[in-house]
Amino acid sequence: MMLATFGLSKHFPIRGAFRATTRLRAVDDANLRIGSEEIVGLVGESGSGKSTLGRCLLRLIEPSAGEVLFDIPDETLKEYEEARSNADAARAADIAERFSLLRRSSSEMRTLRRHMNIVFQDPYSSLNPRWKLTDVIAEPMISTRFCTRAEADDRARDLLREVGLPEFFENRYPHELSGGQRQRVAIARAISTHPRLLVLDEPTSALDVSVQAQILNLLRTLRDKYSISMLLITHNIAVVAYLAEQVYVMYAGVIMERGTKAKVLREPQHPYTKALMSAVPIVGERKVRTILRGDPPNLVDPPQACRFHPRCPVAFEICGWTAGEIAEDLEFLLRGKYYATFGDQVQVVVESDERLRVEGISGPSNVQTLIDNEKAEVRSLSGIRTVIVQGGGVVLDLYPPVDPILYPTPDGRGVKCLLYRPPAAGSV
Amino acid sequence: MADVLSVRDLHVHFHTRRGVYRALNGVHLALRRGEVLGIAGESGCGKTTLGLTTMALLARNAAIPEGQVIFDNKDLVNLQREYAQRVGDRFRPKENERILRRLGKAMTGIRGKRISMVFQEPMTSLNPVLQVGFQIAEAIYLQDPARLARRVLARSKATPEAIQELLGVLQKTDGDEAAVHDFAASRGLRGLEEEALSIWRRRDIHASRKEKAIRGLPGPDLRGAERRLLETIVAAGSIPPRYSKVPVLSRIVRRLLIREGYRAARDLLTSLGIPHSERVVRMYAHELSGGMRQRVVVAIALANNPEIIIMDEPTSAVDVTVQAQILELVKQIRTSVNASFIIISHDLAVLADVCDRIAIMYAGRVVEVSPTEEILRNPLHPYTRLLISAIPTLEERPVEGIPGEVPDMRSPPGGCAFHPRCPFAFEKCPTLVPASFHPAKDQVVECWLFEET
Amino acid sequence: MATVTATKRRWDDVRLSATVFLGNKTAVAGLVIFLLFIGDAVIVQIAPGLLGVDNPDSVIPPQFTQTNPECVGAPPEAPSWSHPFGTTQYGLSGIGCLDLLQLTMKAIRIDVAISFFVVLTGAAIGTLFGVVSAYLGRWFDELLMRVTDVFFSIPFLILALAVGYVVGRTLFNMALALIIVWWPLYARYARSLTLSTKESTFIEAARAAGSGRIKIMVFHIFPNVLPPILVQISLDVGTIITILATLAFIGFLNVLVPELGVLANIGLGLAPLGYWWTVIVPGLVITAFALAVNLMGDGLRDVIDPRRRS
Repeated sequence: MMLATFGLSKHFPIRGAFRATTRLRAVDDANLRIGSEEIVGLVGESGSGKSTLGRCLLRLIEPSAGEVLFDIPDETLKEYEEARSNADAARAADIAERFSLLRRSSSEMRTLRRHMNIVFQDPYSSLNPRWKLTDVIAEPMISTRFCTRAEADDRARDLLREVGLPEFFENRYPHELSGGQRQRVAIARAISTHPRLLVLDEPTSALDVSVQAQILNLLRTLRDKYSISMLLITHNIAVVAYLAEQVYVMYAGVIMERGTKAKVLREPQHPYTKALMSAVPIVGERKVRTILRGDPPNLVDPPQACRFHPRCPVAFEICGWTAGEIAEDLEFLLRGKYYATFGDQVQVVVESDERLRVEGISGPSNVQTLIDNEKAEVRSLSGIRTVIVQGGGVVLDLYPPVDPILYPTPDGRGVKCLLYRPPAAGSV
Repeated sequence: MADVLSVRDLHVHFHTRRGVYRALNGVHLALRRGEVLGIAGESGCGKTTLGLTTMALLARNAAIPEGQVIFDNKDLVNLQREYAQRVGDRFRPKENERILRRLGKAMTGIRGKRISMVFQEPMTSLNPVLQVGFQIAEAIYLQDPARLARRVLARSKATPEAIQELLGVLQKTDGDEAAVHDFAASRGLRGLEEEALSIWRRRDIHASRKEKAIRGLPGPDLRGAERRLLETIVAAGSIPPRYSKVPVLSRIVRRLLIREGYRAARDLLTSLGIPHSERVVRMYAHELSGGMRQRVVVAIALANNPEIIIMDEPTSAVDVTVQAQILELVKQIRTSVNASFIIISHDLAVLADVCDRIAIMYAGRVVEVSPTEEILRNPLHPYTRLLISAIPTLEERPVEGIPGEVPDMRSPPGGCAFHPRCPFAFEKCPTLVPASFHPAKDQVVECWLFEET
Repeated sequence: MATVTATKRRWDDVRLSATVFLGNKTAVAGLVIFLLFIGDAVIVQIAPGLLGVDNPDSVIPPQFTQTNPECVGAPPEAPSWSHPFGTTQYGLSGIGCLDLLQLTMKAIRIDVAISFFVVLTGAAIGTLFGVVSAYLGRWFDELLMRVTDVFFSIPFLILALAVGYVVGRTLFNMALALIIVWWPLYARYARSLTLSTKESTFIEAARAAGSGRIKIMVFHIFPNVLPPILVQISLDVGTIITILATLAFIGFLNVLVPELGVLANIGLGLAPLGYWWTVIVPGLVITAFALAVNLMGDGLRDVIDPRRRS
């Protein structure tokens, strides 16, 4: 295995926050596997934490928790997994000490960087405008002490040719190049030390389609020629479909689904992946879309349990509905669509985390009917367990939420959705 | 179908220190009434310049040596063209700026009212220090204050009996626009129908709630002075200069109308599917998410019921799921408003989703215009073919880039600008600019391959 | 062939910069005046005789009164052909016949030299601190910002005067005082430039390439921070001269040092008696220099701003 992460998290402290514990939970508990010579796609929308995760892998950002095991033999990895699941801390720590990037000192890390590199999205800001192209390409070779300055200059010229640029570009400066040419330079820089792992952060998002195709083909050729493992981070599903073999889908800092490309993209299982796939416009195909309501959540205070549940079209009882969410939706219905039935006096009060109270109405039957009618549309109402008359109002008891994990499915993927919870785990 | 906008042989040249940048080199394009026309092309092909020219928003170093943009029998670029033709090579940006200012004056009543534009970056096209409701209100206030005045007056004049009758008409005709309009006009309540209809069309609330909202329309009585002000504005069709110049008076008029503008903004946002619009109009741009912001920008563009809406890369800065929301929104508003759309995008897949026809631009010319299905199934121009084959799909079909680079428009190649990259180029291509050919119904292509011999 | 095109491109770039600069007529005027001042300073330093300047380090040439006894008590003369700037009179005993043009030429040498010294030293110190603190961040940055806050909260003239009275009022100490006042400006400016450069992904790429902090600071950040700093330096040379003159004018310096502020100070007692040129001439020379430098700086800013190049 080229790279394996365990419980990798990054929580950014918020400057000027009132409490020091307020953190932006950009990435939570990410378990990523990148096999040798494999291209792994990581898709997600902006703010989903995919770029943060990619940078954590290379320690460009220091993760808050977790391990990043680099270039670990499969048997050792298995051993480590067992040690973790058996809570054999000593054994796990021993293996992590040998393979984890996070336990390397900065000078060890510098030499290790020879084996890994990154290509960024914006080719305009990823090349120093005041450096000549040869110097740009030679930088990793010199900084990681891969070779001497003279050798590096020679090799930089070869690399220019390798990525399809004329050799006489060596003395040019980045601003003399087009976006596609710059991205080729960035790729040449990234592969200059024969890395074994390449993180590609939106490598083609800033480029035109005709250039994008050239870059994608170049990346594929380089992978085949130098057997590089790649992590392809992008929001463009078609790019992932073209290059990747394994796909991870991220939403709000959490990996929602993982599996082979064919499975995840063609038969998505997680409701978010389904919505994402339906939103992708495909040339020559007008399709029915699942339009997600609302916006991605604020990661300082993410939704409880499943982070997708407030927008999920099939969320059900235990997905994580809070009393506040249900109260808001219920109030909206009572004052809008069901105004004729309930009138002006009705009011929803949050009594506790598991209990709501509707005041200003007589019988529970109306509320029950409303819930039954609207459950299919307004998913939060499914979080109501019982409707009881009590005192001057109606008391609604709620289901306790369950945190989903990445459940393995029979076809070998993982889906972080309670719909795929194995029955053995018991039902509510 | 009639053309609402037609662009004829349009040339736009930018005079820069490094030479003349030929952004547009003879664009022919017509926008038909009620259609959604997509303009696709790679960066630097001139698609945004085309949109900006139509809005007369070009920078001061832009010269139009030739061409016309005809809207409502008027040429929108004649001043610039006359200037550019008069001075030829001795083009002076400062002089041109004066022409542009005159052009801007001539465009009042068109720009923002009859033709409006949605820009790529919703964050920068909204003013961060003004409430979004104010920005929508202001768009109406500046272009059509009489409409706002009519609304205020109608509400103050409406009686419960009249509303009862209005409800009757609404129910009988199921919100037919003409019928309600006629009813309002016959009772001297013009302006009321707009609000009543927008409530009637809401889908998020129950019928009884709508009825209550419509019954609640009659507003408080206006003071006599205010009423007279508004009546003058309605009669004049705009704010008379004495009202906009006199200090205190102008404040009163403005306050009255902007307040009404907020109401209109609320209605508009609700119709664009924004929940709690009464709260949203009081928010600032940074409080809204990307999708909401884009909706607000669309609302500003729609505020004056324009005839043409130009959207420049409306989905490039947003995520796929938000993009899906916006595409659905465009599909929805095209059925509910009486406008024609031009959508500019580099993403053919986005255009294919919403457009009736697609124009492909390359190096400052429209090289092909065809109905969407045709352009995808049977692309004619070699550039279009290569462009489509470069788009990766979920089927893992091998993609192929187009060899070479986009030409430097300071010295574009002669003849067909695509010939250096074209696999089918033959002896004619480097020397002669291709003429337009019509190989099939409704398809236009500029390529010598389609010359009939 | 490859190198030929590369050289040609480099040359094109220089030519474009020149075109942009020369396209700005006021900047060119500024440059011309600036070059006149520099030329004067250089000649007075190397060969004062060429300009007829005698004893450039003092207002009064040696043995002046002995060789020109008629000058003792001679009133200042108005500008004329023989004395284009007029003459002035120095001291309680009233040594007259002092040609203002000559004095100005002496003074320019000292003013230009001191202001360059102050600005370059201040810029060097400030840039160093600014870049380092912005790149390292944390407590070091916090500390530096608070220190500069302290400097900014004290009116700089008062601070400079205070320094002068502590260490003694000499030309060198005046320069020292100004450096102490001036470096925080550069520290702030360099810091803000570094912070924006730091956001560029090429810094991250350099880290991914294994480059250390010092290498990144020296080879990535510094070259990108330098051009705007250089423009700032060119603008500040003018500002510093006015401050220098102000300090001298209010009596910071020994009155024998030929300095524009000192000259104006000397004239201050004479102007009310009708000898207006004794104040106006040094004042105008200061203004001319400050203005010229500012105009030139604007032109330079055009050159380094990619948006204004097109």
